[in-house]
Amino acid sequence: MTGRWQKRLADAAIPVAIMIAFLAGWEAVVAFGWVRPIQVPPPSRIVASAGELALDGFPAGTLLGEHVGITFLRILTGYALALALAIPLGLLIGSNRTLDAATAPIVTFCRSVATLSLLPLAVVWFGVGEASKVFLIGYGCFWVMLSNTIAAIKLVDPVLISAARTMDTPPPDIFLKVVLPAALPRMVAGARVALGVGFMVIVGAEMIGTTRGLGALIMEARTFYRSDITVVGMFVIGAIGLALSYGLTRAEAWLLPWERRMHERRP
Amino acid sequence: MTPRATVFERLAGTLSVIAALALWELASRFVWRDPQILPAPSEALLAAARVLGPWDLAQHVGISLFRILAGFLLAALIGVSLGIVLGWSPLAARCLRPFVEILRPIPPLAWLPLSIIWFGLGEPSKVFVIFLGAFFPIFTSAWRGMTMVSPTLIRAAQTMDVDGARLLWQVAIPATLPDIAAGLRVGFGLAFGILVAAELIAAKSGMGYLIMEARQLGQLGIAIFGIFLIGVVNLVADHQLARAVRATVGRWSNV
Repeated sequence: MTGRWQKRLADAAIPVAIMIAFLAGWEAVVAFGWVRPIQVPPPSRIVASAGELALDGFPAGTLLGEHVGITFLRILTGYALALALAIPLGLLIGSNRTLDAATAPIVTFCRSVATLSLLPLAVVWFGVGEASKVFLIGYGCFWVMLSNTIAAIKLVDPVLISAARTMDTPPPDIFLKVVLPAALPRMVAGARVALGVGFMVIVGAEMIGTTRGLGALIMEARTFYRSDITVVGMFVIGAIGLALSYGLTRAEAWLLPWERRMHERRP
Repeated sequence: MTPRATVFERLAGTLSVIAALALWELASRFVWRDPQILPAPSEALLAAARVLGPWDLAQHVGISLFRILAGFLLAALIGVSLGIVLGWSPLAARCLRPFVEILRPIPPLAWLPLSIIWFGLGEPSKVFVIFLGAFFPIFTSAWRGMTMVSPTLIRAAQTMDVDGARLLWQVAIPATLPDIAAGLRVGFGLAFGILVAAELIAAKSGMGYLIMEARQLGQLGIAIFGIFLIGVVNLVADHQLARAVRATVGRWSNV
């Protein structure tokens, strides 16, 4: 057993050593004045700025926690609204061929409209407040989730449905007990993609017309020549993304216990 | 699927698009009326025709396409090669993995402020952000594809004395191509969304800028025209890319 632990330790040592060397090199390059700290803020400065941001706040005393909270709220509101609309609609369209044929070009087109290009319209319709940001996130997530839900229903193995029919299963039961469980994995995968889209949209949406939220924070920091704060903001956004994605994985395991083996394929 | 079914689907699709446009036209003429809220499609087209010359339009579309192609091609080149290296060499993977895992979750648009600090407001800052957007999907699918190459395939080749560079070039990489193809399409889609955002925030030309400028001048019709233009260009570009990928990389896959 000790041999295995030693090997594990050795495996972990290399990346840790490389990381430490990298951070030290980065710090040194700035300390020697080879690059300007505004271009590449050194790690020590970034850590200090993270503390400053959490305790004193930036810009104008907005604490890091507030930025995180407001961004989180915007994403979750838009995402939840999009899912609540897209899932029933997708189930309906996916299980009706005429409806699917009629809506296919509209869904394809609306999906390929770049979400952030709607920003000027969103501002005109909803003002510069929360509603326009939630609308943009909702729009981006909605079409992704809708097209994935439609595809999930359409791709259910027809043999399953025929088999259920030969056993005289009533149509509502076919839908609830056969089609829906078979479509769920793809729908969850779609929900994951949609969350990623929402994440991309929020950063762009917050860069214009607001001083609260992480997107605004990193953009404001640049105009004040505080690239160290920009970097802190970037890492915080990344960490939230990781946390949400982890939460979704947990929800998936809870929602779809029969799909767990699909994830076990990957180390 | 029978030809009749396809004809029916085409017809249903066309009819519903016409119906949607007609509904919008009627709604904005009789219900909302205010062209500052929702101009009709016909008004948007007329406004665009009045204000934008064909040359202006070609320039905006051209510069956007240039940015996206530059960023995307760079991402394809670097992403595919790096993915192959990390998938082939466990040592490289172990050394670089922490960096990848730290950088990957950062949304590409969040790099925009730093990109402006590094490259200024010119073309490179936009190309860099687009590059990042396309890079991670391409890179991760190439990497993932390399690690998922069937061990049986590798062992079979090894029993035939194929190893080293030949094993990589003639067995592992061709087996990864379907994954690379999928990554390229996802990467292109992301790059397009980021292009527009980057042009909205920090540009003086391109389709995203066209929309932003229209908003500032209060020409909502032009903005709507621009939104549709971006959608159409995205559809066409994605279609062309899918064809190119099928013709080259996708030859080995049966997709």
